[in-house]
Amino acid sequence: MDWTALRVSLWLGAGTIAILLPFGIWFGRLLAIHQFRGKVFVEALVTVPLVLPPTVLGFYLLVMFGARSPLGQAFQSLVGQTLPFSFEGLLLASAIANIPFVVQPIQRGFEAIPSDVRDAAACCGLTPWQRFARIEVPLAWPGILTAAILTFAHTLGEFGVVLMVGGNLPGETRTLSVAIYDRMQAFDDRSAGVMAATLLVIAVATLMLTTTLSRRVGVRRG
Amino acid sequence: MLRRIGVLLVATTVVIGTGAGVSAQRPPTVAAAANLNFALTEIANQFKADRGTSVEVVFGASGTLTRQIQDGAPFELFLAADEEFPNQLAKAGLTRDAGVVYAVGRLVIFAPNGSALTVDERLNGLARVIKSGKAGRFAIANPDVAPYGKAAESVLRKRGLWDAIRPQLVLGDTIAQAAQFATTGNAIGGLVAYSLVLGPGFAERGKYAVIPETDHQPLRQRMVLLKRAGATATQFYDYLQGTSAKAILRKHGYGVPQ
Amino acid sequence: MCDVADRRLSVRIQQRSPIPLDLDFTCDPGDVLAIFGASGSGKSTILRSIAGLYRPEHATIRADGETWSDTASKAFAPPHRRAVGMVFQEYALFPHLTALGNVMTALGHRPSTERRSRAEDLLRLVHLSDHQDRRPHQLSGGERQRVALARALAREPAVLLLDEPFAAVDRMVRRRLQDEIDELRRTLDIPLVLVTHDFDDVVRLATRLLILERGKAIASGALSDLTSRPDMPWLRDAVGLGSVFDARVVRRDPERGLLELTFGGGTLIASNRVLDAGTVVRVRIAARDVILATSEPDGLSLHNVLPGTVTALNADPAFDHIVVQIAVGEVLLLAEVTRDAIARLDLTSGKRLYALIKSVSIGVIPDFRSI
Repeated sequence: MDWTALRVSLWLGAGTIAILLPFGIWFGRLLAIHQFRGKVFVEALVTVPLVLPPTVLGFYLLVMFGARSPLGQAFQSLVGQTLPFSFEGLLLASAIANIPFVVQPIQRGFEAIPSDVRDAAACCGLTPWQRFARIEVPLAWPGILTAAILTFAHTLGEFGVVLMVGGNLPGETRTLSVAIYDRMQAFDDRSAGVMAATLLVIAVATLMLTTTLSRRVGVRRG
Repeated sequence: MLRRIGVLLVATTVVIGTGAGVSAQRPPTVAAAANLNFALTEIANQFKADRGTSVEVVFGASGTLTRQIQDGAPFELFLAADEEFPNQLAKAGLTRDAGVVYAVGRLVIFAPNGSALTVDERLNGLARVIKSGKAGRFAIANPDVAPYGKAAESVLRKRGLWDAIRPQLVLGDTIAQAAQFATTGNAIGGLVAYSLVLGPGFAERGKYAVIPETDHQPLRQRMVLLKRAGATATQFYDYLQGTSAKAILRKHGYGVPQ
Repeated sequence: MCDVADRRLSVRIQQRSPIPLDLDFTCDPGDVLAIFGASGSGKSTILRSIAGLYRPEHATIRADGETWSDTASKAFAPPHRRAVGMVFQEYALFPHLTALGNVMTALGHRPSTERRSRAEDLLRLVHLSDHQDRRPHQLSGGERQRVALARALAREPAVLLLDEPFAAVDRMVRRRLQDEIDELRRTLDIPLVLVTHDFDDVVRLATRLLILERGKAIASGALSDLTSRPDMPWLRDAVGLGSVFDARVVRRDPERGLLELTFGGGTLIASNRVLDAGTVVRVRIAARDVILATSEPDGLSLHNVLPGTVTALNADPAFDHIVVQIAVGEVLLLAEVTRDAIARLDLTSGKRLYALIKSVSIGVIPDFRSI
């Protein structure tokens, strides 16, 4: 078991959630509550990373931020390191790839709140922020938690884009999924097997968690 | 209960994060061609034992690693499987100098136990299997990114087998992956690196025959220090040209320059 | 204490789309204004505009001595800054809070030490104390309605709004809730606006009525005035034509099974009810239960023979019936008769005749106003 790789994977998952959750809550709520022209287009755009091959995302990130691009060179002279082949680059790739996993469950969570409950909250004298914090978030909470769990699990499973943008650097961009590939190439099937089993267990646990969560939502609604 | 799950997730992440060691000064990263899998790992361990410092090695196909270096990958030393890729980097101004040839590799034809293929240096066994019509998959490294793959292609062409075997070829992204295909019974065999089949556990998996050097361009393997190389990387570069390293390389089937 | 005029609710709304609206009405403290109309007529939109949940194209809304909305001067107070209490059609309770928690949410304007006890008081007021720790999904429809009411009252509102409050409860529960709201109304002394498509609600609670059709007020005024207008065929279709007016109990006669009432047109004998003398009640008589006679009849089972004068006749081309409006003292009664009857009795405006009503046809609705 490559503990460093597990650490990188977990940090990548946690970091992606930290970046995307606030965005997801803001944007998911916006999509749930407001109607506007072009909304269908925006919702489709949010879904694009789902159907995009990870290699496409990797390709564009490398082309845009790699050392051969002007943007990449500027970044490198500022920070000393390009965005690709760094953990931060992985975070960026992961954040983009996970947008649908964050936005959609949260959107569903807020959509499930009847609009007259929100109106009633206003008529109870709650300011918009109080409405959000005391009424909407507690009711949308299962959606928010589902988004976090799904994003975390999906990040753990990312491979193509991580390998392309990250480059398998130990302790920096070698996640658990990449470590499996790496160990197999080194003819170390035993290690690869342990790590593969770990990821499998995490995937199953995630599914169980999200299923339980959606059942709990049903119970509370009564 | 929901809150508890959230807290647990965060706590686990934090614990593993801090528990798995704070990364202070991370050792320099060395990019190496996949054929060096066993040899370089041993040399790096020896280096650590002798000098007390370590390097991290990342294995891959020479072409892929070259591409990554061009895109900004923070490697400090690059051990390629040929000379062309390092020269490309030197020309682009990414290296300290033109580097040195550290080893000469050899190609072998490998057949796993139970395969219909019989191995011999002239590839007659392969020709027979192809002619019999019973040929299954045959593994080589991708000639576009792996010099060993390119060498494999020349060998097959020289023996007049390239066109016939082409539809059966399975290409590994690296020579190590090709070796995996060749040894796991997914293929009748393959053209793989000598250094890999000398690795642990390979002897029992099948049989091999070394391909004559004259059948392909010599696999002169060059290494270069990248511009950002630090003291440790430079030390390692020198160490690789020293006697202990050379002995290990020879042990793994490489020719070494005098 | 503010002037009545200050505490009056005044609403003026005009817009063309998406729902056409054009009205102008007021409601004084202590009055119950029922906005009555079919679905889609814009009733809920009006209520939402008063609450600040909807912003019409042009609106001027004043309540509680303040201007809540004025599109001309771009003034707009959002709902959380209006002292408005609203009971929603489907209660809109917060599912994740208990009944107590729901009511406490509206008590933000009180110091935190007081909130719990105040919420408990309110729940006691609506007779829901023993269920205060239950969540909405553990409560019945009627119980949820009470929580919604308590929550609306918690705000100490200057205006109370009820949006089809009894639409989702059954008859029995509805009766009780209507009585409770009537009871509350007297102690509150604020304008109460009720939106409904059920005329029964109007009859039992309203003091004033505004009839809405496609966003326009086709009639508005005191309840008894409106219900005795003969020229409202839609009223027949929607609720059944009839007269509604107030009366006072004179005495009961349980042995004979009768109740004597006095009203602005004389005396009425209705079927026995358990009511004390002096109780003010509301009387409802369907138009088809009123028989007309040109001479005083004899030997009939009827107890009520009321002399009156024909004031109006209205023929509805869709039906073969004519609606006759008769002035009996101060009250206007409606009678529905066939065209043939009009001809046979030679009924014309100004004609003197008798209105005959069976005791069992007199609907008596106790009104707690005098208690």
